[in-house]
Formats: sequence, structure tokens, C-alpha cells
Amino acid sequence: MSATTWAWLVLLFPLLGSIVTAIGFRALPAKAAGVLGTLSIALSFACAVAALINLLGEPAEARHHASSLWDYASVAGLDIKLGVYVDQLSVFMAVVVTGVSALIHLYSYGYMQSDEGYCRFFSYLNFFVFSMLLVVLAGNFVLLIVGWAFVGFTSYALISFWYRRETATKAGMKAFVINVVGDIGMVLAAFLIFRELGSFDYGEVFAKAPEAFTTNEWTVTAICLLLLLGVCAKSAQLPLHTWLPDAMEGPTPVSALIHAATMVTAGVYLIARTHVLFNLAPTAADISAFIGLATLLMAATVALVVTDLKRAIAYSTMSQIGYMVVGVSIGAYGAGLFHLMTHAFFKALLFMAAGSIIAAMANEQNIDKMSGFGKAMRFTSITMLCGGLALAAFPLTSGFFSKDEILAYAGARGGMYLIFTVLGYLGAFLTAVYTFRLIFRVLPGRPCKEAQELIDTGHVAHGEPRNPATGELEDTAVVFPGPEHHIAEHSATMRVAMAVLAFGALAGGLIQIPGVDNVVADFLDPVFADSPLAAIHPSTSWSWIGLGIGGVIALAGIATAHWLYVANPEAPRRLEARFRGIHGFLLNKWYFDEAIGFLVVRPALAIGRFANRVFERFVVDGLVTGTEGTVRGAGGVVRAVQNGFVRSYALLLIAGFAGLALYFLIASS
Amino acid sequence: MINVLLWLPLAFGALGLLLPRRVAGWWAVLGAIATLGVAIGLLAGFDTGNSGLQYTVDTPWISGLGVDYSLGLDGLNVFLVLLTAVLWTGSVAFAALREQERPQLFFFLILVAETATLGSFIAQDLLLFVLFFDFMLVPFYFLFGVWGQDRTAEGGPSASRATLKMIVYTLIGSLLMLVAAIATAIISADGGHVTFSIQALQQQGIGLGSQRWIFWFFAAAFLVKMPAFLLHGWMPDAYRAAPLPALAVFSGVLAKVGAYGFLRVVLPLFPEAAVEFQEVVLIVALASILYGSVMAFTQTNLRLIAGYSSVAQLGFITAGIFALRPDGADGAVLQMVNHGLVVAPIFIIIALLAERTGSEDLREMGGLALRAPVLAALFLIVALATLAMPGSANFVGEFYILNGLFQAKIVFAFIAISGVALSAYYALRLYQRTMHNREPAGLLSREIGLRDGLVLAPLVLCILALAFYPQLILKRTAPTVQQTIAHVTGGGAPEAQLAGGGTRDWEPTLVKR
Repeated sequence: MSATTWAWLVLLFPLLGSIVTAIGFRALPAKAAGVLGTLSIALSFACAVAALINLLGEPAEARHHASSLWDYASVAGLDIKLGVYVDQLSVFMAVVVTGVSALIHLYSYGYMQSDEGYCRFFSYLNFFVFSMLLVVLAGNFVLLIVGWAFVGFTSYALISFWYRRETATKAGMKAFVINVVGDIGMVLAAFLIFRELGSFDYGEVFAKAPEAFTTNEWTVTAICLLLLLGVCAKSAQLPLHTWLPDAMEGPTPVSALIHAATMVTAGVYLIARTHVLFNLAPTAADISAFIGLATLLMAATVALVVTDLKRAIAYSTMSQIGYMVVGVSIGAYGAGLFHLMTHAFFKALLFMAAGSIIAAMANEQNIDKMSGFGKAMRFTSITMLCGGLALAAFPLTSGFFSKDEILAYAGARGGMYLIFTVLGYLGAFLTAVYTFRLIFRVLPGRPCKEAQELIDTGHVAHGEPRNPATGELEDTAVVFPGPEHHIAEHSATMRVAMAVLAFGALAGGLIQIPGVDNVVADFLDPVFADSPLAAIHPSTSWSWIGLGIGGVIALAGIATAHWLYVANPEAPRRLEARFRGIHGFLLNKWYFDEAIGFLVVRPALAIGRFANRVFERFVVDGLVTGTEGTVRGAGGVVRAVQNGFVRSYALLLIAGFAGLALYFLIASS
Repeated sequence: MINVLLWLPLAFGALGLLLPRRVAGWWAVLGAIATLGVAIGLLAGFDTGNSGLQYTVDTPWISGLGVDYSLGLDGLNVFLVLLTAVLWTGSVAFAALREQERPQLFFFLILVAETATLGSFIAQDLLLFVLFFDFMLVPFYFLFGVWGQDRTAEGGPSASRATLKMIVYTLIGSLLMLVAAIATAIISADGGHVTFSIQALQQQGIGLGSQRWIFWFFAAAFLVKMPAFLLHGWMPDAYRAAPLPALAVFSGVLAKVGAYGFLRVVLPLFPEAAVEFQEVVLIVALASILYGSVMAFTQTNLRLIAGYSSVAQLGFITAGIFALRPDGADGAVLQMVNHGLVVAPIFIIIALLAERTGSEDLREMGGLALRAPVLAALFLIVALATLAMPGSANFVGEFYILNGLFQAKIVFAFIAISGVALSAYYALRLYQRTMHNREPAGLLSREIGLRDGLVLAPLVLCILALAFYPQLILKRTAPTVQQTIAHVTGGGAPEAQLAGGGTRDWEPTLVKR
């Protein structure tokens, strides 16, 4: 079979899985949905690997294929086919997405078992993977937008999965609307592309673009900036990031899926996919890189102070995506995508570990109340440590190699781009501090009540589950996973998923060591061969110097965290008191939510109220009531005939029609 | 066959008057299904590549006045006819499942309405079109006024009063149109033989001076029918009064007759005026989009949310037509069908929700998904299609419309597209507030019944099927639409000229990376 056939199968299995689990939600026996859902993603992964093998069997230059099933909407010069585009980039993404997603499904199989919405969960989860695969495999911009929006919708559905929680439904709506704003950017970009190039098809667009545009021409810059709007919304980059922390309302496997393998990486993929356009608009590419840089620093500072375990990891995700966006924007395509892969490993792992701990804490997410889980949950804490080390870029872990590769490239590009190297290292320091803040708070120390209970009885805490945001008692009887929450310690499938990811987090970097091997970048390079930026390579010696600096910074960060949170447990509180203003500013996430509320939401609602209360009543209705009033004023005529008036009016109408018809019938004969 | 299509509903309705009340509903369902069968048969025999009229019937009716009994199908109306047949089947079945007062008369009227609506879609004679267009209103007048709900308890108008308001609005438009139709024929004949045949009138043409005022007479009638911004004053009251099964077809189909009128009558007969007033109509369309959307997300009455969202959607359709490009108009035709297919299920769902909660107010609902997961799933699909979720046929329609607008008038496209974000909010809000969160105290919801499910599910399946293959409609409508637009823009081969804007020339290079 050809690579494209495999690609269609990659898409088919998750879609089928989603439909079957959705339709069979009453008929399927318990757990069957989990098995089916996991199996479909596993099959999809197998097909993705098959496509990869297929591609590897071809010469490097010929590894790109397009295929279409049927005309989707193809008239009036808009030739839109249901088509896929398979090359190294899309296959790489497909393998990463399906691989990590399969593990997350495996984890969910155990984690969600006590949830009433088990079938619904797997149906959504499968559809999510399908949507993401559609994004990476789409062969034209329209299909890309379809996948793009599907991802947004499914994230809505999964964030508000526990739909009895008002906070969850609100967060879902927020994610959806912000994502629609991004979709609009994409749609406008597509229109502009069509206007200039007359096509939506990748192959045609990328072939024509270099001849059609001069560098930094306003049209191509506008196209890239509009695409960037989509990137910011989907990948939670400033200033459209505010939905991501709130998205933590969803079940923890969702956080792992959205924040690791899929969705948020879509923006990174998009920039890489459209690098031809971004190369023609260096200004837009620089803007994109600076947005990434700002996001990575801003999110890292917030992650330092947030006390909610999942939210802290969510901000860390934003920050790491910032690195990837910087990477693919400045031309470090292979490095950016490599970081995407390693991040998928360790971030999924961290969320899974967090999920286990939160389950053991009866849904409590505040890290100030956690301690001593190192003893209580040995497996979970070891894997969490693996993930944490990789995130903090501890020497020789996967994050160590991938992050530094981006920074080394920025250094090699030189000039202005040195800023990215310098501030990137600053971000790396913050990353190490906040990561180990979490770990030092949660794992060591005297076991808290819940951890002690786990050690003593082996049982997970049975406290009354409350919504961590509002303190409202959860609706456990019906939809909320009750006290039967699973933890990795008790569930084989969860352990398997976490063990595999832990291995990836630790050893995943070894496939791309400067001067030794270069598996990912070598495979992807032909895709970016047309880019002038692809010629830039940091020398091996500089790469190692960079790695050395990175390693020292990571160790320094971990040491700082140790000093702050273990050696001097009073120090953080003193710092908070001393820098109350800054702390408040960070704790309120730089007031982005408030700013958007003030600038967008409130004016919109005010306009709506005005339209409703004033305009509708006085202008629109006035057109009629005005005339009615005159009639009434003219005398009691209307009142007298009011009841009969309507009826006689209609009778008149009918009589008129009948008469007219009769007349014509007679006249025509 | 086209005669059968037109008169079958009326025949069934008339016979139904003689039947006992118990079977009247099911007899009407049978009639609607038979009509649907005929419509499907017509589509099956439809010649896809042909831009001209098919299945034509043309016999002189009033030879002295030049009025012909002239019917025909082409790309503009073939799917609207099918939509009419589909939605009537759904609505009549939904009504038949419920107890109606004086059922014989109710179903008679609703089938009369089907004939009138089909007539206005397939009429190819201007006066015949006007007659059917006005005649549509009569059965709805009784359906709304007699079977409707008085809102006096809520401080609203009584059903008859709301209906009267609607009649006044639409009748003014209709009268203007009647005058305009006669004027068109007479001016066009220029002392010669008077004809009302739309095709003949198109060939004869009339001067720009006359076009200007006649254009607005027709436009007024059509814009009221949709309704468009500032002419929608009748809509809130009428929508609150209407019995829901009748409202489903009213909103699903009748609103489209207005938009269809622009394509069938206004563009062919008054092309120069259409070009001249393009921007004015576009402004009205944009105002409808924005105003309808903003209103839709501040309302709490379910019917009004759906009603104002229709104002916005019809705004998109109008904007697509008046982009005066083939892609915009193709999108508009597709979107007419799409919008009908989503708005009718919404009204059916509103009826189901009202039965469960005893209210039509968003604030008194919530948490229904818990006991009614199937209903929630069906509703979710409909809601997503309403907000033109990419992947739905509604998105394709909107994409074509906005692309046409973008290439024609870029500023208008930027403004119009903000309506997309607003629609995401109001459609999802409608779904979320009814289905999610916790239910108000004392509310016990229940799952959709099997028989109601059999009404609703096929409509949802239509939405899903079109989502996979919107080309089904586009392919068949495009030739006629292209011809209509080419007539306005005066281009011989619009396809080649307009695709891609034509600002650059391409070497036919091999596409390869």
C-alpha cells in the first residue's frame, strides 16, 4: 500500500472508534468503550508507522504525496478536494500524535473507569485525535481549517466534560470562542491566499508563492499574521492564551492530551508547514518569534506562583510551546519539532502523575496541601521525577537536548537572534525552578493526611469531592468520578502508559545528540530544504558549549528550588511578603483575563443590551406601534372592531384571491 | 410530474378535511411523504450540467394579460423544492404526533402552505410567482392566529395581534411587489405584447431608470420576508405566537423565498440596478448579520434566539448573492438549504424542551443532557451546524459566501466575518444553557421518545450527509447560478475571469516541492 493509503487509514480508525463508542453508549458493556477507543488509536499508530516505513523506502526527495478521495466543494474556481498531503513532516506529526495519544488512551482506560460518562469520554477522545490528525494530514487549507476547528470543538467538549460544573462549562465556552477567533484568522488567511495564488492546495500554493511574492510584501505579511492569529489561539500564545489555564477543568487525561501531544502543538506544526510563506515574510516570522519569547517568559513567571498543581503545569506548557514557536519561527525547524516530540513525552507524563496525585487527594489540586507522596506513591513519584527532570532540562534527559538545540540555532543565526538565546536560557532557569518547586512541594516531606491514609490503608482518600475552584459539592452520584478514582499504583494500564513515557522522557533525547546522531532533523530536513534558513547550522562544538551552559543553568535552577522550598521553607513566604505587588501581579496571571473582559466582553454585552432595551423597542417596534398609535388616536374605531377586525381582514384577503383566481380562470377560457 | 409535485399536498389536504380527526394527521404525513417522493424523483432525473430550466410546463393562462402557467426547475430552486418537501414531512409528522385542535383544518392549512411555497419556488412567470408568494401567507395567517399562543400573560401581544402585525408588514411588501411586477411587464413590453414570463422579460430588459425604483419595490418585499434588519419588527411577536411545527417550516423555508427572489427575479430582471445598489444591499446584509447576532446572544427566549440568528444567517445569504460573484451566490444557494435544515430541527427541539420544562426561557432550563443524552447529542450537532462549524455544509456555504465577498469587497468581508465569532457564542450558549450545568429545582427532564426521534434523527442525518458531501448541492446548482451572475456582471466566462482574482499571471509550472 502506498503512504497515502496508510494516511487515510490513520484518519479512519479514530473516526470509526469515535462513532462506534458514541452510538453504542447504551449497548456496549462496561469498559468495552475503553478497549475500543484505545485499540482504534493503537491501530492508527500502527498505520502511521507503516506510512513512515513506506516513506523511508523512497528516496528522500520523493517523499511527498498528495491524494484525494472526492470533490468536497469544488465549483466556481474554488477547487476544494477531500485530500491529504503526506510528507516527512506530516508523518512525523502523525506518529507522535498517535503514539502519545495511544498511551493517554491506555491511561484513561484505568483513570476514568468510575466515571459515568465513560463511553462519551472515549468517543470525544477518539474524535479529538481524529481532528488533530486531520490538521496534520490535510492537503489543503480548507481541510486544515476543518481539522483546526474540530480540535477547537472537541477541546470544548472535553473541557466541559463534567458539564454539571458551572466552572467547567464556562471554561469550555471560553476555549471555544477564543479558538473561533483563531479560526477566523485562518479563514481570512485562506481567502487572501486564494486571491493572490488562486488555490487552496498546499502543493500549488507553496510552489507559486516564491514567484508571486516579493520578500516582505504586505500581502504575504498579512497572510502570515492572520495565520499567526490561528497559531496564538490554538497554541495558547499571548494574548489569546487565557483559555488554556481554565481548560484544566477537564479530566486530567484531557489535560495530558490537549497539552502534550495534540492541539497546542498544532500552531507549531502550522508554522512549520507554511514555512515557505513565513520565509517570504521575515517580519511576520520575527513577530511570531517574539510572541513565542514573550509567552515563554510570561508563562514561566506565572508558573512560579500558581498553587494549583494542574494550572502550574499548564503554564509550563504555554512556556514550552513558546520555545517551539520561537524555534520554528527563526528557522530551527528540526529543533522545534524535536522539542515538540520530547515535550509530548514528558508533559503527558507529568499530567498523568498529577492526575494520580489529584485522585489520591480526592480532587484537591492545591500544592500547599500536598506533601509526602514520595513515600505514599512510589511509582507515581518516580515517573513524576523523570518528567520533571526532562522538563527542567537536566543533563542527558530529552528536554536537555531538544531545548538547547533551539537556543544554539538562535545563537548560530546571530545578530538580533542572540536575544532568543539569552532570554531562552533565562526561561530555562525559571523552568527548572518552577518544576522543582512542584516536585519539592508534593513528593518529599511529612505525608499529608491523604498520603498517610494511602500508606496506612492502601486506599485513596474518600473525602467529599468538591470543585476546587468554587468549593461547591460535586455531583458524584451522576457524572463526576466519585471516590473510585484510580491511581497509577492500582492500575496496570496506567502504569504501562506512564512507564513508556518515562522512558521516552529520559532517553528520547539520545536520538539527536550533537555530533553523534541527528535522526529527527535528518528525516525532516528535505521538507525544509527550500528554506534559506535551513543552511544555518550551529557547529558541534558550539552546540556542546550551549549544552554545557544549559546543564549548569538547569542544575542552578534545581538548586535554587531546593534552597527555597526544602532548605529554607520560610523563604518563599518572606519573598511573597517583600514583593507583594509583583506576587499579586503574577498570581493574577498578569491580569490578562481582566483586560480582555474590559476590552471585549463588556462592550459586546453593552451593545447587546442597548440593542435589546432601546433600539428594538423604540426604533424597530416604533415603526409599527407608531402607526398603530395614530389609528387608535383617531377614534374608537379600532377598539370596536378589534376582535372582528383580524378575521374580516383575512377573509377579505382570501376573498380577494379567490375572486382574482376566478376572474383569471374565466378570462382565460 | 412537476404539476403533481405542486398540487399533491393541496389534494391530500382537501381530502383530509373529509376524514375523521384521528387519522387526519397521519393522512397529512402520507401526503407530505408522497410529495417528498416526487421531489426526490425530480432530483434523480435532474440533468446536472444543464443551466437551463427542466421539467418545464408552460401553458397560456390569461392570454389577454400575457400571464402563463409556467413552471420549471433549475439549479436555483431544485434543492429548495427538496428542502421544502423534507421540512414539511418532518414538521407535519411532528405535529401529527401531538394532539391538535381541529386537526383536519390544521393539516389542511399546513398542506395548502406547502403547495403555495412550492409554487413560489417553481413559478417561472412573474405574476404567478407574485400570486404564490402572497398566497403563502394566508394559511400561515390562520395557523399562527388560531393555533398560536397568546403571550398576554407575559406582557406580550395576543396571537391574533402578533399575526396582524406580520400581515401588515408582509402585505405592504407584497403590494409593492405586485405593482412592481405589473410595471415591469408593461415597461418591458413597451407598447408591444405584454408578457410576464421571467425568461422573456430577462431577454427584453428594461431601462436603468425604471430598474432603479422597481428594484427597491421587489427588494422591500423580499427583505421583509427574510426578515432583514429594520424590517424585522414583525418577527419577534409572530415567532412567539406561532405553533412550533408551523414555525419550523415558516422559518426554515419561507424566509428563503425572499433570498431566492433576489436570484430568480431581481438579478435577472434588474441587473444594472443590482450592480448600482450592490453596496447598499450589502450594508443592509451586514447590519442584519451584526444586529441579528448581537440580539441572539442577549435573548433568553429560545424562539427569539433562533429567530434573530435567522436574521443573521439570512444576512449572510443576502451578502453572498450581492457579492455578485459566482462563488458568493453558489454559497448563498447552498446556505439557504443548510439554514433550512438547521433551523427547522431547532424549532422542533425547542418544542421538545418546552414539553420537558414547561418553559421557553433559557433561564428556567439547564442540565437536560443528564437524562436525555440522545436529545443532547442531536441538539449538539444541530447547534454546531448553526454556528457554521468547519466540517459542516454550513461552513462550506459560509466559506463560499465570504470568499465571494472577500474577493469583491474586502472591507465588507472583514466586517461580516465578525458575525461568525458571534454566532459561535450564541449557538453554543443556546446549547449549553439548556443542556449543561445543573437543572433548576424541580425540573425533571426525560429522553426524547422513539417517535419524536424518528422525526428529528433523519433531519440531523441530512445535516451530517451534507457535511460529508456538500458538492452534491454545489455541483447541481453551480451552472444556473453562474449563468445568473454572468448576466449581471456581463462577463461571458465568469469562471476564468473571477477565479483567483486574476491579479497575477501564472506560468503553468509543475506543482512540486
